[in-house]
Amino acid sequence: MTLSPKAKRSEANQLERSLRRVQQEVLRMGTLVEQSFRLSHQALFERDIDAVKKIGELERQIDIYYRQIESDCATLMTLQAPVAQDLRLLSALMQLVRDLERIGDYAEDLTEMAVKLMKYTPHQALGDIAQMSEHAQLMLATSLVALADLDPSAGARVKEMDDIVDDAYDRLYDIIAFQKDVPGVVEPILVLGLTIRHLERMADHATNISQRVTYIVTGKRN
Amino acid sequence: MAAINFFLGLTVGIGIYVGQQYRFKQQLKSTLKSYGTGEDEEISLPLHSLIRRELIDLNRQRRKLEKDKQAWQELIEQAPIGYLQVDGENQLLGCNQAAKDLLKIDSRRSQRVRLLLELVRSYDLDSLIEETRRSLRPQQKEWIFYFTRYAYPEDKESETNAYKSSRRIVESIALKGYGFPLSNRQVGVFIENRQPLVELSQSRDRTFSDLTHELRTPLTSISLVAENLQRRLQDPEKRWVTQMLGETNRLIELVQEWLDLTQLEAAPERTLKYEEIKIYDLIESVWLTLEPIANRKKVTLSYSGDRSIILEGDRSRLTQVFLNLLDNAIKHNPPQKEIFVQTSSIESEDISLPEKIKVDVIDSGRGFTANDLPYIFERLYRGDKSRTREQEDRNYSLDGSGLGLAIVEQIVRAHEGAIAANNHPTMGGAWVEVILPVKKSEKN
Repeated sequence: MTLSPKAKRSEANQLERSLRRVQQEVLRMGTLVEQSFRLSHQALFERDIDAVKKIGELERQIDIYYRQIESDCATLMTLQAPVAQDLRLLSALMQLVRDLERIGDYAEDLTEMAVKLMKYTPHQALGDIAQMSEHAQLMLATSLVALADLDPSAGARVKEMDDIVDDAYDRLYDIIAFQKDVPGVVEPILVLGLTIRHLERMADHATNISQRVTYIVTGKRN
Repeated sequence: MAAINFFLGLTVGIGIYVGQQYRFKQQLKSTLKSYGTGEDEEISLPLHSLIRRELIDLNRQRRKLEKDKQAWQELIEQAPIGYLQVDGENQLLGCNQAAKDLLKIDSRRSQRVRLLLELVRSYDLDSLIEETRRSLRPQQKEWIFYFTRYAYPEDKESETNAYKSSRRIVESIALKGYGFPLSNRQVGVFIENRQPLVELSQSRDRTFSDLTHELRTPLTSISLVAENLQRRLQDPEKRWVTQMLGETNRLIELVQEWLDLTQLEAAPERTLKYEEIKIYDLIESVWLTLEPIANRKKVTLSYSGDRSIILEGDRSRLTQVFLNLLDNAIKHNPPQKEIFVQTSSIESEDISLPEKIKVDVIDSGRGFTANDLPYIFERLYRGDKSRTREQEDRNYSLDGSGLGLAIVEQIVRAHEGAIAANNHPTMGGAWVEVILPVKKSEKN
């Protein structure tokens, strides 16, 4: 193992340091959002009731980060008057944390649905939905890596992955909506319908994040 | 006249020059002496040779240190335990191969110095580092690290498509981290893989509880048959069957206790029924149950502390706790001596912490042996064999099974309390300290 010589950070000016700090906070928030997505997955598909308890606390933390980052960005924009990429970074981060926060909210909703589903026998489409949820998690991870790397090519890539989730949504919708001779109450079917809708929205927000990263680097919206 | 003046000036000049030279050399010598290795004080070489010697020596030392440093770094690189180091701004300065494997750090992305969070998206690792830096003390933390796969530009499409790829999207691994504060606000972290250990202990517990489940039904029917037989037989067969029945019932209770324990561990909050309990009344009623045994040894109970303390807890479970503790205390108490029970509230400076009370149970026996102490709360651990397997103890199911104290610990933990066993420093006897929160925790 070789330790890198101490990074030359002394010359970084105050704006650069503040930007790096904000970026680190966004990444921190990202890890929490990923964690709540995973918990919702565990609650839904592994019937892990503990996840429900943990996610409330996580959501509270995510909310604190969300407000903090938003106000930090606003302060930096007004006090330091950044230009070009720095300005794009800040304005994109402000919207990006909103996407992250929404994903967290959906995750919390999903665990509540998981609790509702627990009293029914698992639906046959549950395996497919689990795959859809995993794919959405992969998209979120890819977007966060793209944010860390400021990789402009991620936008297009995640968009392609989003098409797969959209296809899965249509297919699962048909399976759930058009089944016949349904015994018992409609709640499990209703909840499953909402579940795939939520997952599809979460994937959309992940796509938004990666596209905002593209915007930060290139300055073009697509 | 002019010549005299000239020579006078020259002499003064030379005098000053020589004086300065002398002072300079003296200073150099004393510097050398204070920095040098000290052995060659007596060598009277010219000054510039001494300096050269010193420099060569220093250079040699520097190279040796360099080599040592490389050897250590190589050693850390090869170490079976993960190590990483971050600077004051949480940028990853370096990590060894084991850390890369455990944290799944992508070598394509870790070429340049960058934020640790960019490479390892783990909130737990990040907070371990922050906590270490804040407290300036070594810190430990256990967590489960989840790694979600992502699509990297150079990856093939089959890798990035969850529907086509055979690899799992989310992987998890149980880790334990040790953070150490270094100079310049840097932090070093050792990372240990706990996954094999976790899997092993899970599979052990699962196997055992499966086994106990399987044992319960046949054991119950054996005991029923034995009971039936007992009524129809005459001595000596009747005596054998009675013995068999006793042993069978002991086994059934062992199995039941193990199942209880497993349930308590798996879902503490669902197993407990909370109500308000006056702790003194509880201990008093437990003592009443135990009085027959206590009277036989003429052991008495001495209670001290506030008798009006009320706490929220599961009455039957807490009764079980004190039944076990006092039963043990009586068993190991010498005849005609007292057993002390003390209750007190714990004063805490931090108001945000929940209010707690402490119950000490101290007997006048010889105390725990040093060998037993670390294992007292382990399942199926039996202390001094000669003591616990005495014939008269057989009547008490909780003894001898080796589960009594394990259950006690599990119940206390389910109440979010803590328990510790020790020998009392002044009284010498076994000393069990139970700490319980007064109010039921909000989380449950």
